[in-house]
Amino acid sequence: MLRHIVRRLLQMVPLLLGITMLSFLIIQLSPGDFLAEIRLNPVVSQETVDQMRANFGLDRPLHVQYLRWLANILRGDFGYSFSFQVPVLWLINSRLLNTLLLNVVALLIAWLVAVPIGIHAATRQYSLTDNLLSLTAYIGISTPTFFSGLLLLFVAFKTGWLPIGGMTSLDYNFLPWWGKALDVARHLVIPATVLAFLTVAGLMRQMRANLLEVLRQDYVKTARSKGLAERMVIYKHAVRNAINPLITLFGLELGGLLSGSAILENVVGWPGLGQLILDAVVRKDLYVVMGSLVIGGVTLVLGNLIADILLAVADPRIRYD
Amino acid sequence: MRRRWVARLAGTVLVLALFGGLTAAQSPAKKLTLPDIPNPKVVNYPHEIGKYGGVHVRAQISDPRTFNPLVAQETSSTDILANVFDGLVEQNYITGEIEPALAESWTVSRDGRTWVFTLRQGVTWHDGKPLTIDDVVFTYTAIFTEGVQNSDRDVLTFDGKPLRFRKLDDRRIEFRTEKPIGTFLRVIGSEILPRHKLADALARGAAEFNRTWGVNTPPREIIGTGPFTIAEYVPGQRVTLLRNARYWKVDKAGNRLPYLTRYVRLIVPNLDALRLKFLAGETDVYGARPREFTEFKALERQNNFTIYDGPETFSSEFVVFNQNPAGVRPPKLTWFQDVRFRRALNHAIDRATIANQIYAGRATPAWGPLSVGNKLYYNDQLPRYEYNLARAEQLLAEAGYRKGSDGVLRDPQGNVVEFTLSTNAENNDRVAMGNILRQDWSKLGIKLTYAPEAFNTLVGKLVGTFNWDAIIIGLTGGIEPITGKNVWLSSGSLHMWWPKQEKPATPWEEEINRLFSQAEGEVSQEKRKAFYLRWQQIVAEQVPILYFSYPKTQPAVRNTLGNVTPIGLQGAIGPIDTLYYKQVLR
Amino acid sequence: MVTERLPRRAASLASPEPLAARTPLQLAWRQLRRHRLALVGGAILLVLYTMALFADVLAPYSLDYADRAKFYHPPTIPRFIDAQGRFHFRPFVYNTTLVDPGLRVFAEDHTRVYPIRFLVRGEPYRFFWLIPSRIRLLGVDEPARLFLMGTDGFGRDLFSRILYGSRVSLIVGILVVAVTLPIGMLYGGIAGYYGGRIDNIMMRVAEVIIAFPAFYLLLTLSAVLPTNVGCTTRFYLIVVILAFIGWAGFSRLIRGFVLSLKQREYVLAARAMGLDDLRIITRHILPNTASLVIVVASLSIPGAILGESGLSFLGLGVREPCSSWGNLLSAGANLVNLSRSPWLLFPGLFIIIAVVAYNFLGDGLRDALDPRLRTS
Repeated sequence: MLRHIVRRLLQMVPLLLGITMLSFLIIQLSPGDFLAEIRLNPVVSQETVDQMRANFGLDRPLHVQYLRWLANILRGDFGYSFSFQVPVLWLINSRLLNTLLLNVVALLIAWLVAVPIGIHAATRQYSLTDNLLSLTAYIGISTPTFFSGLLLLFVAFKTGWLPIGGMTSLDYNFLPWWGKALDVARHLVIPATVLAFLTVAGLMRQMRANLLEVLRQDYVKTARSKGLAERMVIYKHAVRNAINPLITLFGLELGGLLSGSAILENVVGWPGLGQLILDAVVRKDLYVVMGSLVIGGVTLVLGNLIADILLAVADPRIRYD
Repeated sequence: MRRRWVARLAGTVLVLALFGGLTAAQSPAKKLTLPDIPNPKVVNYPHEIGKYGGVHVRAQISDPRTFNPLVAQETSSTDILANVFDGLVEQNYITGEIEPALAESWTVSRDGRTWVFTLRQGVTWHDGKPLTIDDVVFTYTAIFTEGVQNSDRDVLTFDGKPLRFRKLDDRRIEFRTEKPIGTFLRVIGSEILPRHKLADALARGAAEFNRTWGVNTPPREIIGTGPFTIAEYVPGQRVTLLRNARYWKVDKAGNRLPYLTRYVRLIVPNLDALRLKFLAGETDVYGARPREFTEFKALERQNNFTIYDGPETFSSEFVVFNQNPAGVRPPKLTWFQDVRFRRALNHAIDRATIANQIYAGRATPAWGPLSVGNKLYYNDQLPRYEYNLARAEQLLAEAGYRKGSDGVLRDPQGNVVEFTLSTNAENNDRVAMGNILRQDWSKLGIKLTYAPEAFNTLVGKLVGTFNWDAIIIGLTGGIEPITGKNVWLSSGSLHMWWPKQEKPATPWEEEINRLFSQAEGEVSQEKRKAFYLRWQQIVAEQVPILYFSYPKTQPAVRNTLGNVTPIGLQGAIGPIDTLYYKQVLR
Repeated sequence: MVTERLPRRAASLASPEPLAARTPLQLAWRQLRRHRLALVGGAILLVLYTMALFADVLAPYSLDYADRAKFYHPPTIPRFIDAQGRFHFRPFVYNTTLVDPGLRVFAEDHTRVYPIRFLVRGEPYRFFWLIPSRIRLLGVDEPARLFLMGTDGFGRDLFSRILYGSRVSLIVGILVVAVTLPIGMLYGGIAGYYGGRIDNIMMRVAEVIIAFPAFYLLLTLSAVLPTNVGCTTRFYLIVVILAFIGWAGFSRLIRGFVLSLKQREYVLAARAMGLDDLRIITRHILPNTASLVIVVASLSIPGAILGESGLSFLGLGVREPCSSWGNLLSAGANLVNLSRSPWLLFPGLFIIIAVVAYNFLGDGLRDALDPRLRTS
């Protein structure tokens, strides 16, 4: 097991090298740079622009820029953002937790909703409820998040029940701890619902398929024939076994925790990484993009690794050696 | 104690102060003083005596990028820092005149080359340290330090020669320029920085200085002289500002400003959210878009706000053709350099539809580079290019361009007239304008490819590779055209149609160079105006840039706020110093 | 439920149809027929694709047609009863004029009715991109307009633009799959067949793409697209981008499948006969992945449709003056429109319907083709 983990971690190195090199090339070879807005300011002279280019090291050859960046990364230095002039790590740090919070809450909701629904649909395959649930699930995965996010914001605005975007209220600092938690929770409702809706569909379908398969297995038939109540058969025996394959899915979702909500964050004004990165890509704020790619890549690989481990723990038949 | 004092003042009758034609030497009839500041600035625009207190909330799109006012470029930073820092002089929001700020007065030598500014006494930084002339010297030293990112250096460099400055005594600083600069006061308003906080950073080099006071700085480190201090910055959410109890301005009754206790700027992702927050009552000020005017008018009573019919902005969107031989080749170059071609196409711009569709009728057609909102210098006698496709076709025919039986326009040499029109795809208004242009120009027989693209790609081409045909874009404008000399001088890097020319390519560009040089050296505003009028005439005749229209402004403000009117230049509402809540909740 | 299915199976056993005649395809079809949602999905897709094919005829106006005086015009609903209360057999519309551009209010002119006509002369187009024609299915006399789903901010007919946009949105998925399938199959096939070091290296390369958070990759890639090209070329470039992201995950799936296939007897036999490797892969192994491929394809097409709409929302997708459901929706999807001109959200409905239909179909196909889930 330990060997497996070490090997997977080592495999990460060429992977990250590949990702970063690829994106560095893509970004740097594309036309235009982050100084565009400054160039278009009537009061800024060409000399000033040239000087800024030199300050940022943008006038050096590509491979030099990349190697310098790489060397710094190894020392834990993610470089400075062009447009903010602050360390990239600080920028990412200032938003990382917010994105995590949103995604973890959405993930929790999704699992709590999807598993029971999946069971329900599987035990009534092709029935009206199954079809209705499937339909709802399908609509869930078929709606672009920017669309559903916008619709919910509109409802919030019309009814006044929920805050319109953002993460905390103005008087957040003056609230007691439970008030703070409540305040954030209220702001979470819309984005977490939209995100969860998206995941529920996939999870529920998976759960349904797994359970259907398990229900056909011999031991379930045996349990039935022994005269166990149908409820007992399903919840005691079948569901447990049907959940196992979902663990892999769970790991994959862990990996997407940082990038899954990017578009939505931009719609509802959730102060997470998504806004930061979209802005950085559009402005070609090189090191912010690179830094977040590294962080995103690492979480993805770690997520897969965690999935492997969880699976091994849950299912003794699986061994990694 | 103070509360009683305020209550009494609130009852005073509104008296309109006289304004306009102010000079540095002018002083109010009654001498108002503060214990720590013998000669505070008395705000001179019309205002009523306000009440202290209240939390004021506005929203802005995107985070501030730095808290260093010298380095700050984007409005997302400067809109915040404007409340925290002050310059030697400031601009009156209604008249555009320059007034004293941290400098209480100034003199200019007879030859117009030496300016001496006297610092206001008793002003302190937010941390209680006194503002000294050394701080001013430090600020200008920083501006001219090699490698410090700022745009002030460029406007303070005249004919390639940097501004010279020296400390005269504890209260006075002297600036010297090589030639007389008539517009000097317009460019000397840089935010003054605290030497005791930033000298170390500057000593460690320009790169270090550029990074100092980034958004990761603890807010209490950011020290200015302005009406507010930064109390908190939550990335992606808000910046909270607190009242500066030592501010150097007073209202006409001698009460220290500002009235507001807290000023919060929410950070929202887009225009939509900006609007929503206002309608939901979360913010109290909203710069409505022209097409929202009637809609908001109908909501006024229900949502307890007023939407004001403001004047035109200073900037118009426009289309420009590439006349740079390094960027396009004949025959395109020949068409674009042909003034008859440009004039013909100018007749094929449907400004009425642009005004209607994009601005819901709230825009004034633009015939030249200055907005009708610029009351100081606007030329109302310019030639007009009414929308008339027949006229456009006729002009093209006179210039030898013929539309064949296949409906395709060909130039005198028989080349098919085809080119690419671009704009930045992020800006829906510009994309819409491009669509209108594309349809009309296609009717003339031009084979037009319309390709909106990303903003920085577009700018990369416009000022970098020069590899473009026609572009729709806009520039911000100041009240004094001279600040746009980078655009108008033929040597300018933003002289978009042909930047950085060795020597002017055409006689009219040469004349514009001359006019700008004359205007810059002219101290009298009236005489400067003559130069500017002629310049607008030339631009309207030669149409290197085809302007569309100047949209109006329509600020919407909650009725609970006082001292909102009069509405100033470009739709500015009353300054934050004097804004107050008529009912302050405790 | 399992018990519920028993009688049905008995019925099928009792049918006169001889069992031996059932090919796998027939079995699959039988299974698919029982999946009602899948059939509904298939039928919806058939309708949508037919609409895309005949967009020129069905659309009352051309892609680019704009009535500048009628921007943000609400949908014109065909009427039968006029303002005087008279009944007309032929549905008709009234002409309208703009009253207030800010509030987007139009007034109807009740003095004259404009009957809706069939097969009218409209703007020219080329039928099936070949035959010049002017015939349009529906139309009204000028100056009245038939805006069945209202107009956008330029006064362009949304219904027509949705029809033309369907050509982009519905095809984008198919094209993407058409590119990713061969690449992914060959790549995964080779990796899985050879195994060992080759497999290891090839899969590491694919993982670089897979491990790349798709959102960032989309963003970075689309920032590189040349933009001075027409919007049609840009559309193909977007296909390339979506395919670039898609092939790797697909090849990994194929590889896993091939790993198990290559131990089958027929492959071992072919090897023993000395057939060359490429031939074994293309002739014997890949055909056996067909069911997997069909299922994955039908499930990745909707992914591409959504991908295009996401790109458009970020301003990086298909651009003006072309239309796609994604760029129509992102242009219309803001709160002002939501309250003032909700018809601008119609494209969103089309996206959802098409993607749901594809998912129905894909799910049904999986049930039908995946032997493990086959119930009879």
